[in-house]
Amino acid sequence: MEATADRLAEQKYSFDVVRWFTIMAVVYLVVGAAVGVYIASELAWPFLNFDSPYLSFGRLRPVHTNAVIFAFGGCTLMATAFYTVQRTCGVRLWSEKLAWFTFWGWNAIIVLAVITLPLGITQSKEYAELEWPIDILIAVVWLAFTINFIMTIANRKTSHIYVSNWFFLGMMVMIVYLHVVNSLAIPVGLFKSYSLFSGVQDAMIQWWWGHNAVGFYLTAGFLGIMYYFVPKQANRPVYSYRLSVIHFWALMFGYVWLGAHHLQYTALPDWTGSLGAAVSIAMIIPSWGGAVNGMMTLSGAWDKLRTDYVLRFLIIALAFYAMSTFEGPVMSLKTVNALSHYTDWTIGHVHSGALGWVAGISIGAIYHLMTRLWHTEMWSESLVNVHFWTATIGTVIYVVAMWVSGIMQGLMWRAYDEYGTLAYTFVESVAAMHPYYAMRAVGGGIFLLGAIIMLFNILMTVRKSSAEGSLREARGPLAPAAA
Amino acid sequence: MSDYFKTDWAAMTANDWAGLILTVVVFVLMVVAYFQVFRPKNRESLESRKHIPFEEDQLEDIGDNDGGK
Repeated sequence: MEATADRLAEQKYSFDVVRWFTIMAVVYLVVGAAVGVYIASELAWPFLNFDSPYLSFGRLRPVHTNAVIFAFGGCTLMATAFYTVQRTCGVRLWSEKLAWFTFWGWNAIIVLAVITLPLGITQSKEYAELEWPIDILIAVVWLAFTINFIMTIANRKTSHIYVSNWFFLGMMVMIVYLHVVNSLAIPVGLFKSYSLFSGVQDAMIQWWWGHNAVGFYLTAGFLGIMYYFVPKQANRPVYSYRLSVIHFWALMFGYVWLGAHHLQYTALPDWTGSLGAAVSIAMIIPSWGGAVNGMMTLSGAWDKLRTDYVLRFLIIALAFYAMSTFEGPVMSLKTVNALSHYTDWTIGHVHSGALGWVAGISIGAIYHLMTRLWHTEMWSESLVNVHFWTATIGTVIYVVAMWVSGIMQGLMWRAYDEYGTLAYTFVESVAAMHPYYAMRAVGGGIFLLGAIIMLFNILMTVRKSSAEGSLREARGPLAPAAA
Repeated sequence: MSDYFKTDWAAMTANDWAGLILTVVVFVLMVVAYFQVFRPKNRESLESRKHIPFEEDQLEDIGDNDGGK
């Protein structure tokens, strides 16, 4: 039944662009994770800089973040959004040409980022480093993606818009708004510009963007993935549709307030940080509601986790989502922030969200897509299992190393001796970090190994599909019974 | 405590008023959303939508809109 539906869908919908986005997402996962492991190793063993400015941590770190967030995350979001909107609305994409423009445009942006960032061409705004000509290109391509998605929904055959599309749409609209406002700058040359904002206003705009890149891009967009792929993989409808509606609106209303919690104890007015922290705490409720909703979809069918490795990825991702959406609000509180801010605890928190939640839900969705888009089973189920354990163990090692390192760092920085002077020099705190930096590089390396295994497995699956002719067959005429 | 909540209304700028009104409206809308979603009367119609991802076969049979092409 499912295979017939997939075959009908193959003939009806535009899946070629989805296939390309899917493959590129995994390529970028490997590239982004590899750069991440390299720069993590640089922090543990600084000789790896090789005294080259192009290989320095400061220049490669934005290559890593842009590769994993915008290259891997972006391709995953575009693949899944284009796939689910067609299957839940019962119509083809509004414009296949615009979808291909989105594909080539997005990949061109990634290439430009890989060239400009190691050369030191940057606006120095976290997660918004790319210079103004690339920012304009991002706005154009993202709008093309958004318009195509909206018009496909407008052409739908269903009376109701399924909740996953609401999450994708919320992300698209908000990212246009956030990206355009935060990127407002005065160009003084082709590769140099200055922000339109200054001082504390610039900081507030930057973190309004920064936290909402997390809130709308890395959370709402990937929740769109969760609300389609968890029910489909489990073959059960989502536990509570009402809860998903509240999850959506609470997220949309709440997230925009949180940016100020990144600027506690700065020139930003004190009340603004308190407001950011208060709404952060309130956001635990919808976030956990959403996580529980996803997990309870398996209610009565938990046994599926024993055998379905793809489902394991999706459910462990929800566990990390619940964990990091509790940890983040706690870290936003001023008393905790006084210890955690500027330390590796933040890095641990970010990676429990990035590796555990975002990568986990993406990997699960991509494995699901592989079998549906190439109309065959995975080349190796065992390798999917190996990938699950390498990804999970790698993430846990990474996050635990950074938690220990970060809390130790915070405690060392504010320790006083009996005379009221600092108990440790900064260099002593750096030296104390070394074992944890090495442990982080190992954890990241294990995660990277899993990503390489995944890339190998999906390429072999494409080859297997080609040898079997399963995709060609799915595109061919249907037998009368199936039709 | 009363000092903590004291507000100098005369010092409120147009921006302050716009922000205040927007904030109150957003919170009221949130309350309305909670009320509507958890109203027992709406339960069946909302929950029926959870089956959309599994209704693809029916969608296939509706006819070929093909994105308006």
